[in-house]
Amino acid sequence: MRLLPLLLTLAAAALPIAGRAAELRIGFTLDTLTLDPANHRSRETESVLRTMYNGLVAHDPAMKLVPELIESWTWIDPRTMEMKVRPGVTFHSGAKLTADDIVFTFTRLLTQGAIAGQTSPRKDLLGPTREVVKVDDSTVRFLLNEPWPVLPAMLTFQEVVSQHFVEQAGPAGIATTEDGTGPFKLVQWRRGESLVLERAANYFGGAPAIPVAAKACTDRVIIKIIPENASRVAALLAGDVDIINELPAHDIRSVEANPNTRVMAVNGTRTFFVALNNSRKPFDDIRVRQAANHALNRQLIIDKLLSRRAVKLNGVMSPAAFGHNPSLPEYTYDVAKAKALLTEAGYPNGIDVTLDADGPQKETAEAIGALLTQAGIRTKVAVGDGSQVRARWAANGKREGDMWISSWGNGSLDPTDIFEPTLKTGGRGNSAFYSNPKVDDLLAAGGRETDSAKRSALYQQAEAIINHDAPWIFLWLPQDLYGVSARLAGWSPTPSGWLNLRDACVQ
Amino acid sequence: MALVLLRRLLHLIPVLFGVTVIVFLMMSLTPGDPAEIMLANQNASPAQIATLRHDMGLDRPLLTRFGSFVGHALIGDFGQSLFHHRPVAAMIAERLPATIELSLAAMLLTLLVAIPLGVLAAVRRGGVLDRLASVGALFGVSLPGFWFGILLLIGFAVNLRWLPVSGAIDYARQPPVITGMLALDSLLAGRIDSLGNALAHLVLPAITLGLPMAAILMRVTRASMLDVLRQDYITFAEAKGLGRARIIALHALKNALLPTVTVAAMETGALLGGNMVVETVFGWPGLGRLVVESIFVRNYPLVQAAVLLYAVTYVLVNFAADLLYTVLNPRVRL
Repeated sequence: MRLLPLLLTLAAAALPIAGRAAELRIGFTLDTLTLDPANHRSRETESVLRTMYNGLVAHDPAMKLVPELIESWTWIDPRTMEMKVRPGVTFHSGAKLTADDIVFTFTRLLTQGAIAGQTSPRKDLLGPTREVVKVDDSTVRFLLNEPWPVLPAMLTFQEVVSQHFVEQAGPAGIATTEDGTGPFKLVQWRRGESLVLERAANYFGGAPAIPVAAKACTDRVIIKIIPENASRVAALLAGDVDIINELPAHDIRSVEANPNTRVMAVNGTRTFFVALNNSRKPFDDIRVRQAANHALNRQLIIDKLLSRRAVKLNGVMSPAAFGHNPSLPEYTYDVAKAKALLTEAGYPNGIDVTLDADGPQKETAEAIGALLTQAGIRTKVAVGDGSQVRARWAANGKREGDMWISSWGNGSLDPTDIFEPTLKTGGRGNSAFYSNPKVDDLLAAGGRETDSAKRSALYQQAEAIINHDAPWIFLWLPQDLYGVSARLAGWSPTPSGWLNLRDACVQ
Repeated sequence: MALVLLRRLLHLIPVLFGVTVIVFLMMSLTPGDPAEIMLANQNASPAQIATLRHDMGLDRPLLTRFGSFVGHALIGDFGQSLFHHRPVAAMIAERLPATIELSLAAMLLTLLVAIPLGVLAAVRRGGVLDRLASVGALFGVSLPGFWFGILLLIGFAVNLRWLPVSGAIDYARQPPVITGMLALDSLLAGRIDSLGNALAHLVLPAITLGLPMAAILMRVTRASMLDVLRQDYITFAEAKGLGRARIIALHALKNALLPTVTVAAMETGALLGGNMVVETVFGWPGLGRLVVESIFVRNYPLVQAAVLLYAVTYVLVNFAADLLYTVLNPRVRL
């Protein structure tokens, strides 16, 4: 009989603790690799780090660039950018953010072998940046080897660390503890299981351009690592977590059917397209390329294969990207027009071509192949190992293929990041082998121009030409899916994948 | 005896060397390299990938890398994880207690269920219990672990809400760290609330992990029990007028357990493998999941060290089983 009270206590302890409204729980796919912002190349790690650290530049909810740990940036000349350090920012340890911390952060990123003998894997995200120097206590300058107007956008990928903290903690310390300036500070990291964060009392409030919610009600955030999709969805449905990332499309219905949960989607930053080999027959003819664009019913594929979770693209970039041209004409689905264009190009009986794809794109490629075939572009789908297919379509490769279903991530949402590699003559990701001197000139001008409005206009012009030239079959931009609890307010997903928990609130 | 022990331990050396060679070759010959994977979807240029490969030391010839790995491993240095930039040994050490705890729980559950069921099924051969146990065993062996685990999750965590979905313990219930095994630490610290919470988290993963093994052990125990019950000495014991229960418990079971011990030891391999699946499904912070994640990204040093550890465990467990043999049956000599 004495066992009974013990058993009751045990049973009570098994239940979740009641009244955890001030606690926000997240079911997240991957554990953080390290807490050192300079020593990883993982989007998931960055998402988590951004809750504790800030950058010089951030995105506002509309994905516009806004200064975060600085007050402003100014181009002194195309190779020099000056920044005013935001006053009144403190690290979680209480130390003040100084110009020296910023110089230290970027010197650590840029210097060969600066992290315990290794070079930061994030160094190349700083492009032609040569060094960062302190002008006075509130001013720093970025010195570049060549003009690089995309610098502010690329600075969103770097977080500022405290010089004192890094020197005290050493490489092992900064990998496992933190001293950031962000809205939350680390309480505990149980590796492989969870990260526990608490609201930082001395948080400076964030970028003034992003208005602060009336009252942040989350005292504690628990990021639980649940790699298995079905288990993550189960955790959401059971009310065990309030947000899950990477909701599988086939689970949309069960999350929508549950009265306590809902689906949230946001446009991603990865552009999908079919690269057409512009360097040889039949796709060296613009009419054949345009025919291919008219031959594809993209909406059908989005509806049937992608669970309606993608937006059609008529050009290169996300509608949220800087310099996106909103008035690009659409290649409407029109089989008759496609056949007419093929006949005009000298192929009245259609053409026989091969579409290369890697494993994950097999289904989509087969659907595209079937639709193209209906319009006289008889397509054979060849599925191969990812690295082999990529090698076949390398910019310096043999140019033997016809078509390749491919994609390019544009995390900075800046045109430089996607136009230059994929569409500039000889670009490292120019798998279509596209070359148009007019586009090259516009991209070169855009790569020098530091005036935002002028720069945007240059890329809009380039995108219009590319839309007409149709070097690709323009496809879509998939959305990132999240499942959230109905009790969650003040939170929305971002294209960058950052968790942005500052204003999130569980009711 | 001591000499035998020593000789058996010396056998470990060629086994471990062989395992090292095989793992090293398998990892190296699998397509995809860590540098490319680390920079996948990052639009990296070939030059950037090459630089990273150089930084990771992957551009050195295979033999040089192997030699360096073995040389360092001999002095207990398993290198740094390519992605975490931390010593592999430390990473394994911090994940190991959770895996040991889960494996022990599964093992305990298995033995507690499988042996009595096997014995009962044999004693009441052809009865209802025997048939039910046979059907149950068939299910246990044929259900894929990840599917069964998710089924349990949906039933007991999502719909009934009796048990937590994932993790090893709630944040607010953590006991002080002593061994790293949460249930044990809770007991040692006298924290009943922590113990309840830890056990609640442990139930579903342990059942998922233990079920296939329980099914096999049940079948083996049943078969060997049936075999033993037909022996002359059992008939003799019956003739002496000993009670049925006494015969089974004292005369039959001990001999019937010999094959059970062998199979249980051999099933340790399945247990170690099963850990990878179960830890992934239940978000269990153990070594198995770390290994799975490391294989996906070709984190060579971590996978090599972990597989070595698995091999050592397997060999040692089987060695212990041999020792147990001599206890169960004094006629067996090592």
